[in-house]
Amino acid sequence: MTPAFAHASEAEMARILDFYAVRWEYEPDTFPILWNTDGDVVESFSPDFFLPDLDLYLEMTTLRQKLVRKKNRKLRRLRELYPNVEIKLFYARDFRALMLKYGRLALVDGLSGTSGQVAAPHLAAAAADEAIAAAEAAARSAERAAARSAARPDGGARTDGATTPRRRRAASPITSTEGTAIHR
Amino acid sequence: MTSPSRDLHADIGEILLSEEEIRAKVIELGARIGADYAGRRLTLVSVLKGSLPFMADLMRAIDIPVRIDLMEVSSYGGASTESSGLVRILKDLSASIVDEDVLIVEDIIDTGLTLNYLIRYLRGKNPASLRICTLLDKPARRLVEIPVDYTGFVIPDSFVVGYGLDFGELYRNLRYVGVLKPEAYAPDAAG
Repeated sequence: MTPAFAHASEAEMARILDFYAVRWEYEPDTFPILWNTDGDVVESFSPDFFLPDLDLYLEMTTLRQKLVRKKNRKLRRLRELYPNVEIKLFYARDFRALMLKYGRLALVDGLSGTSGQVAAPHLAAAAADEAIAAAEAAARSAERAAARSAARPDGGARTDGATTPRRRRAASPITSTEGTAIHR
Repeated sequence: MTSPSRDLHADIGEILLSEEEIRAKVIELGARIGADYAGRRLTLVSVLKGSLPFMADLMRAIDIPVRIDLMEVSSYGGASTESSGLVRILKDLSASIVDEDVLIVEDIIDTGLTLNYLIRYLRGKNPASLRICTLLDKPARRLVEIPVDYTGFVIPDSFVVGYGLDFGELYRNLRYVGVLKPEAYAPDAAG
């Protein structure tokens, strides 16, 4: 049964994968990427596709640049926490190039965001993301330090740690049925 | 689709690989392949249509006996997409490759989707070995990681045409590889 895709570009990607006989699952896993000091998941990431034959997650983004930055940050966090998870991010310009290759450029305007984000390289966005990530890392570090000095024996923080990388995707991603997919 | 101008060269923004650079690289690849496969039964399998010029030049740069064969598979977005929704073999091998050393000759590898399909298909025909030679590799677009044994040039993430590569079935006959001007495929991009 065809899932209810959140975006037309995802439906198009599913058709392309089907065409080339590449098996896929739509948003099968949700990865927690940020916890509060009580250990509750406060932020998670659900890649759009998992390609089981390639052991690869695929995330599509044809969103506005501001949202792409947010997604870049989440992706970087996921890679920090789950270094053995292979994931590729498909930017709007990647999707545009794919459509150009397949002679379906006319679809792009209807499927993606502004032409500005399509044409612009994501280097500037990446630099901005670095700054955001650094600020967040500093905040988390301060949080952990405060938690460690708290009166509770466990320091009030996760001992299995938001910064402890998971070994495999199967280690602990939340399934889509119980997950909190908040990346859209 | 945008109508190309009459002068194909005018649609090229930059020559990425000159005719001379391509020729030198093909000779180099041919020498390497000839040395690696000396004394073995080598079949070159070209994937139509883009790899046709590369195949024609490469086979003549290989100094050992080789067989050649041609394959063609439907491309996503082509006429066959709407009817079946699945890739189709439009032209299959004309001879068995059982126990043959097979070298797939590609013009360009970008997403790797077509090649991934072809590799699985050809492995099912039980060759003695199956390796890959590509003139151009565009790793920025890779979706399926495929080990490539012989690579001519690693190229940046631009839309390239020429030396077999097309846009809308045109530009294949250019003797060089060039970057297509955006206005050649998207008129709005010019502004």
